[in-house]
Amino acid sequence: MSAAPYKPSRWEFQGVRLWHAALLGGFVIAWVTGDEDTYAMHLFAGWWVAAVVTLRLVAALLAPAGSPLALKRPNRNQMLTVSILSTLALTVLAAFSGIAADVAPFLEDPHEALAVMSLWAIGLHVLVAVIVFKGRQWLRRVSAALVVVALGAVPALAADPARDAIVAAYAAQAKQQDAGFSGFSAARGEALYRLRHTVNPEIASCSTCHTDDPTKPGRHAKTGRVIEPVAVSANPKRFVEADKVEERFMRDCKSIFGRVCTATEKGDYLTFLINR
Amino acid sequence: MKRLILATILSVAVAAPAMAGGDWVAPVKDPLTLKECGSCHMAFQPAFLSADAWRKMMSNLANHFGDNAEMAPDKVSAITQYLTANAGGYRRGVSDSKITDTAWFARKHRKVAPEVWTRKDVMSRSNCPACHKQAEQGLYDDD
Ligand code: HEC
Ligand code: HEC
Ligand code: HEC
Repeated sequence: MSAAPYKPSRWEFQGVRLWHAALLGGFVIAWVTGDEDTYAMHLFAGWWVAAVVTLRLVAALLAPAGSPLALKRPNRNQMLTVSILSTLALTVLAAFSGIAADVAPFLEDPHEALAVMSLWAIGLHVLVAVIVFKGRQWLRRVSAALVVVALGAVPALAADPARDAIVAAYAAQAKQQDAGFSGFSAARGEALYRLRHTVNPEIASCSTCHTDDPTKPGRHAKTGRVIEPVAVSANPKRFVEADKVEERFMRDCKSIFGRVCTATEKGDYLTFLINR
Repeated sequence: MKRLILATILSVAVAAPAMAGGDWVAPVKDPLTLKECGSCHMAFQPAFLSADAWRKMMSNLANHFGDNAEMAPDKVSAITQYLTANAGGYRRGVSDSKITDTAWFARKHRKVAPEVWTRKDVMSRSNCPACHKQAEQGLYDDD
């Protein structure tokens, strides 16, 4: 006797959707809170992701064959199966490695790598799902949108609006101070960075504290305190607070050059370190 | 994030015994003081100097031990307020501007060999965190 094919209820489909939302929500929150300041939230989101996946696994084991919640779905497109498995595996590994890294900090690097990989896997998964369910027409529309987003996102990653605003403000000032101003120069900025002065022999140049290689951590020449790298490539948190930048320029220029720096010098210096 | 995790583990590991009577100096809590006075060196705990010493230092930040620590006047007064309100009135607080010049400091460090102070990773007596890893949390009895 063969059982009638299982007829899933509306709630099972809703459940699958809800689960997607819960997982994606947790992931997004974990992704955007991966910073020191929001660590508690990050940790919570990590546990959330782990719990949501575990719950899903339990539901899959309990669900009757044929339910959209079941583990095995004989009619599923194979490409989709692969993408689901890899996305889930990476997300789960990312979550658990993060939880483990909380007590074993050496797992921090693998955790970050896994998180980045799961982001890619999620992107691919969306792509595959779109292909499988909605066909190419949809895909074309989505990929056009993605290209637009990517075109906007790539420069946004390298640039920071706050930093741009600081440089722009110095440019406006430079134009006022000097009618012949024609843009900042990284080369002039580098010269300024390395030039040795005699005002204060103990701290002869910017590189005395910020080191010859601005991508490396420096050390305060008098107090010995470690200073984080000043090149933006090595330290994306650089030059994003106008108040701090201006305060430091005032102090550091006075101690090393014995005078304040001009707006052009400040812009050149920033341009050098932003492109470094 | 790494630092935060480490700090969390460390503070959990040491907080209990430290509270139980070790040499625990109330750490700096004021965010402005931490930021403005913690960039060139660690933000020294206010209890290490007297209110007078802090006032004197804060009134001449342009000549700050051979460096220039100028800042906007409103910041200066807010920080002065915090430092003097939490200054050490007795024992630790001595009316001198340098913590490392006080008799108290010399006494606590009499067993430290002279050549240690000039080691490349120490450079200066004022670099407390070079030797006291949890100096910024106010813990100095770790070694
Ligand atoms: C005596 C050591 C020392 C020297 C020499 C020095 N700096 Fe600095 N600089 C610091 C410290 C300390 C900080 C703040 C700590 C931090 O931001 O990590 C800083 C921060 C800065 C910042 C702010 C960075 C940011 O992220 O906002 C700028 C701008 C700056 N320095 C410019 C200069 C310039 C220009 C020179 C050379 C004329 C110079 N510095 C030389 C110690 C120094
Ligand atoms: C521009 C860099 C800079 C800033 C900003 C700065 N300091 Fe200093 N500070 C120094 C230097 C350099 C020394 C001398 C360190 C040495 O000789 O080892 C020093 C020394 C000190 C000392 C004496 C340390 C000792 O050896 O006992 C105290 C106390 C102090 N600073 C407090 C402050 C306070 C409070 C602030 C915030 C208002 C501040 N500093 C901001 C550079 C700075
Ligand atoms: C060269 C390393 C070094 C530096 C820099 C240093 N210390 Fe110490 N400190 C020590 C050592 C070592 C001891 C323990 C000495 C002993 O046991 O006799 C000590 C002891 C102390 C104690 C006493 C702890 C106790 O258990 O009673 C205090 C408080 C202290 N240091 C504060 C400071 C402060 C504040 C600074 C910075 C202004 C500083 N130290 C800088 C090495 C250092």
